[in-house]
Amino acid sequence: MVGVGARSGAARLFGVLQGLCRETWGCQARGVATRASTRVLPFIPTQDPDVIRKVPHDFRVVYPEFLPNPVPEWRNRLREKIERKDMLARRSNMPIPEFYIGSIMAVTVADPNAAGKTNRFVGICIQRGDSGLRAWFSLRNVIDHQGLEIKYEMYSPLVQNIEVLRLEKRLDDELLYLRDALPIYSTFPSDMETEILQEGAPVPVNPIKVQLKPRPWHERWERKNLQGVRDLGLPERFYKKAKLHEKPWEKYDLMKEYRATIPEEEQADIFREISSHYPLLESTRRRGKRKRVLPSLS
Amino acid sequence: MISCARTRYHNNGDEKRELLSSEVTKVWSRVGGGSGLHTSAPRQEIRKMARLRVVDNSALGKSAMLEGRPPKCIHIYNKRGVGFTGDKVLVAIKGQKKQAILTGCHQDQKPLVPKFDSNNIVLIDETGSPLGTRIHVPIPTMLRKKLTDMSRPKGADYTKILAIATRFI
Amino acid sequence: MALPRLQFITHTMKNLSIAPVCVSQVRAMSRVKRRRSLPPFWWPKSTRTMYPEHITSQNEDFLLDVVEEKYSSPLKVDPWERGTFKERSMRCGLIARKIGIYPMWTKDGSRLLTTLLQVSDNHVIKYIPPEEHIVHGLKKRYRELGAVVVGADPIDPRMITKEYYNIFSETGVMPKKKMSKFLVTPNAKLARGTPLYASHFRPGDYVDIAGTTIDRGFQGVMKRWGFKGMPASHGVTKSHRRGGTIGSGGDKARVLPGQKMPGHMGRERRNLRGLKVWRVNTQHNVLWVNGPAVPGGVGSYVYIYDSLLPHRKHTEENHPPFPTFFQDEEDIEEELYDEQLHAFHLPSIQFAEK
Repeated sequence: MVGVGARSGAARLFGVLQGLCRETWGCQARGVATRASTRVLPFIPTQDPDVIRKVPHDFRVVYPEFLPNPVPEWRNRLREKIERKDMLARRSNMPIPEFYIGSIMAVTVADPNAAGKTNRFVGICIQRGDSGLRAWFSLRNVIDHQGLEIKYEMYSPLVQNIEVLRLEKRLDDELLYLRDALPIYSTFPSDMETEILQEGAPVPVNPIKVQLKPRPWHERWERKNLQGVRDLGLPERFYKKAKLHEKPWEKYDLMKEYRATIPEEEQADIFREISSHYPLLESTRRRGKRKRVLPSLS
Repeated sequence: MISCARTRYHNNGDEKRELLSSEVTKVWSRVGGGSGLHTSAPRQEIRKMARLRVVDNSALGKSAMLEGRPPKCIHIYNKRGVGFTGDKVLVAIKGQKKQAILTGCHQDQKPLVPKFDSNNIVLIDETGSPLGTRIHVPIPTMLRKKLTDMSRPKGADYTKILAIATRFI
Repeated sequence: MALPRLQFITHTMKNLSIAPVCVSQVRAMSRVKRRRSLPPFWWPKSTRTMYPEHITSQNEDFLLDVVEEKYSSPLKVDPWERGTFKERSMRCGLIARKIGIYPMWTKDGSRLLTTLLQVSDNHVIKYIPPEEHIVHGLKKRYRELGAVVVGADPIDPRMITKEYYNIFSETGVMPKKKMSKFLVTPNAKLARGTPLYASHFRPGDYVDIAGTTIDRGFQGVMKRWGFKGMPASHGVTKSHRRGGTIGSGGDKARVLPGQKMPGHMGRERRNLRGLKVWRVNTQHNVLWVNGPAVPGGVGSYVYIYDSLLPHRKHTEENHPPFPTFFQDEEDIEEELYDEQLHAFHLPSIQFAEK
């Protein structure tokens, strides 16, 4: 098939041109005539409620890296489309399961320096970030009384296998406070077995409240409004200062939220594009019967 | 003082709890003053004057950590002045100067390189032989390549410390 | 004072019909006009003022039918003979748009950043033989070269002036937004209307890229020239980001030309040499070139040439498709990868045990 827009052949010229500009350049296409008006409309995602309804509601949390970086200067529809295709190609070789911050995972990587040329690390996911092929997550564990964290790039070909040993969520979006918590909360055995959940069961939320070590800490946790830590036990002046630094108006800032997110209709378009790969993606969301209950650490 | 307390925490497998709690109160009272300084986020780099944690079982290292006077970095053997995992450093420990290899850094690392909660060193002599006989703390596997590459021009064998390691991560 | 040996900026010359820029010392760079706000006076004015013409919908349909008919059939011209590659041949380049940056990995696991460049609808507008290609002050070795004018990105013919439209009247393609001239040896000549695709370059080729850097506006010396500034406290009065002294005093008794000062930064032409092409997608006409440093933001145009670097010269045994890859006539795979690149459809890397 020839390059895009190269042949002014059977297709209606301006339809092709419009289609070309809309597909490759989205809202940057201007000044091309259409049937109805002299200006092409900016990229409008589908408003079809049927399509929006058909997309599973939790796709944006299960596959957050498929949504592009919302900064408009760096966005380009064609590049995002090619990137998603590459991501799906990688996933067909190395399935990436559903995981959240707080899930306990085991990652096997190819390591030329390790015995057997592979290296397996078990840990709790404390952070994840970036979108597209740059997507990464960080695992933490305490081994031989030494706290360790390793960052993994999800689409790197060195990563051979990602297993989720315990699929659960926590009360916070980031678990960086585990660095200042007692080591027991970050310790997980390396030979931990996979705990499977019941088919169709919602992802459990672990309401554990972690106990932090006394100060100094890496960050001022009293200012972060953490749900997953116990009472910090600090003098009143810390909380007063924290209140001064609060930004209660941010939850009303619609533009800030708009700039940080991809619109819902566009999300539906993106997931519609990868819908043909739903069976592959869904098969990696393993569910089965739950084996054991979490030990309480209160 | 504050960094001492933190080092203490990571040795809590070996240290007495009385020592821990007394250090805690010292830290508490000091920090309680609050000077109101505005500081930037810490980079957690190993530079000169950085306090490091000895993780081998050499007599010198153990006694220094027990006393509460961990070794201080006084020189980094690279052109950048910032130590990374696997770099050789010169430390001042119990009034002596000793060379050491950085086996773990608290600084954020590249993907697949582990980041540790403390800045760990293993004491060595000029030929690269370690002073201790065992390292009970995990070591990154990337040290194998880095130390081999380092050993070639120097004529010393820095990979000897890998032989005394118990676990690779 | 005798000036030291002069240097040419060759790719600038390839692209503009103005006298070549000769610069020797850093201080003389301040004399060089680095950007222009208006095009040269001899360039035809491209866009025109649009007035509401109140065309009825039937007339508008008719106009579109006329335009479609005009561009639906290719130009009926005899095909030109295609030259063969010889040593020191130069073939034309491409005009592409930067569409983004993303990481890729090599087969030994090392990560690299690649810039995606989309070769958007390039066509040859005309070929100027060496005899007719007269540029004042052109160095002798360039006088044997012809020029191929390449255009990219179609524009609605109704938006442009008649003069600009006439440039494309004999090409059989829609008028283009962006054009560029590429110096070529006569054996690399191409006929008007020849489409150019990303398959013009192969994975493993090395290219030079010229582009316009991001416009950063009026910037101070710290960002523009990398000055260190002065401390935030300790008695420094009102001079935290300023340039400090600008003269050397004494004999000179003046500010020397080329003194680094605040001013406009960016929106300048920059060349990058020797970027490797890692991957080519022939369906969307996208090239993946090495590194994130291609000048310009996402959506800006760049000009891609075969690399001039001496150790990247092409040989008769290994040369890219000459004079170009005629994708309409030959089959080609959709995705082409460099040998060292790990394609995403390949299985994960596993190091062999010794």
